[in-house]
Amino acid sequence: MSASTPLQVAPRAKELSLQAQEAGANVLSCYQCRKCTSGCPVSGRADIKPHELVRLVQLGQRDAVLGCKAIWECTSCQTCITRCPQKVDIAALNDFLRQMSLASNKVAEGTAVPAFNDIFLGTVRRLGRMYEMGLMVAFKLRTRRFFADVGKFPMMLWKRKLSLLPSVGRDSAQRKQLFERTKSGGASR
Amino acid sequence: MSYVFYPGCSLEGTARDFHLSTLAVAKGMGLALPEIPDWICCGSTAAHSSDPVLALALPAQNLQSAARMKTADGVPTVAVACAACYSRLKVANHHIAREPKTRQKVAQALGSDYDGSVPVKHLLEILGRDLGPAKIAAQIRRPLKGLKVVCYYGCLLSRPPEITNFDNAENPRLMDDVMEAAGATVLDWPHKTECCGASFSITDVTIVQQLTREILSMARAVGADCIVTACPLCQLNLDMRQKEVEERYNEKYGLPVFYFSQLLGLAMGLSGQELSLRSLVVDPQPLLQSKGIAVTELSRTSNEAES
Repeated sequence: MSASTPLQVAPRAKELSLQAQEAGANVLSCYQCRKCTSGCPVSGRADIKPHELVRLVQLGQRDAVLGCKAIWECTSCQTCITRCPQKVDIAALNDFLRQMSLASNKVAEGTAVPAFNDIFLGTVRRLGRMYEMGLMVAFKLRTRRFFADVGKFPMMLWKRKLSLLPSVGRDSAQRKQLFERTKSGGASR
Repeated sequence: MSYVFYPGCSLEGTARDFHLSTLAVAKGMGLALPEIPDWICCGSTAAHSSDPVLALALPAQNLQSAARMKTADGVPTVAVACAACYSRLKVANHHIAREPKTRQKVAQALGSDYDGSVPVKHLLEILGRDLGPAKIAAQIRRPLKGLKVVCYYGCLLSRPPEITNFDNAENPRLMDDVMEAAGATVLDWPHKTECCGASFSITDVTIVQQLTREILSMARAVGADCIVTACPLCQLNLDMRQKEVEERYNEKYGLPVFYFSQLLGLAMGLSGQELSLRSLVVDPQPLLQSKGIAVTELSRTSNEAES
């Protein structure tokens, strides 16, 4: 967060905190001890650090938190929630903010995570199980990162780390229904 | 107590060696691990980043399938090897059992009610607690004498402890106990539960390289011969990306990265082939030979003979 970011209370600020609370993160309990940021494996590179993210949510600064890179760089390692003296579930908060950022079209530029998640869940919807080879190829096509890690493919095949064919779960009708009935409904898939 | 096995997607692909070695060790220990026949993906990070109900419904459907494998002993315990699957199954149980509203939403998605009660255990809990070090020690034919290991637990086994209830969140001991029972010298080190950046293995390798470097450097600094893991993503990052981390940071580690099931299996006298040691990227053979742990079945000729 740049030094010039105004730490102002946005209109209807509490609404965002209450939504976060509904999603499992009691942000209003935070007293800014920074234990989360101290233990966070990616806070060194984060544009908004975990304790700052919580503060901004308390202040209702929607655009700042939904458009930041940090929510897409969170590794979901659960160190923050494990060490938080107030049990503010920042990992759950990040899940909530990622969903909201996507839904409101505010995803920070340069992150490939939403594309990856979409392909991943699309594969699970179709096959029931992850198909790593297919996932990697689809991800490359979607993000145009054709050469990343391709040098590893022959070795991975030789080491039997990749299967050419997917493993398929049974009962695809039930699985598709499950996806239909959840919120996202697999709309983009 | 009876168990049913949830392998998860990684164990059918990049972590095939984890799958084979887990089943081989279980067989040697006399543990029956029938696979849940119609299991599906747990949804992993992609699901919990995208849709809160889907993130619980996918694991819940698997837990329902497990409940249907009920025997005279009652509902079986779901045995899991992958730390990420373990976490998702545990998280689903935790929320569904405690939050009536969540339970209702998941029931709607599943088309039937699930109460969050099917027990879930990681293989390390089954080996280290249900069986215990004494029973493991009784199966050891080739103790890993003089092999200095560090146990790397990663994130999702021990965190958050309120949900996984696995072991101490900052200093877990279960894998240490299992490795000690196998005769290895287990070194203490501060990076047992640091994050390797697993979820960015495909989307942002720079995060993975930075985090795995810290783990590899620390393992070397404390004098470890190798790293022992319990998660397919941790193992893949530390092993397959070790060379590129060495190149990026101009450092040399040369640390083989095993699954605990592979080292335990070796100690039980199982062959390199049964434990699929050929799948390891950093060649473990020079280390094992230097410690007098012979693994002839790993050699290229026998690989070719086998295929």
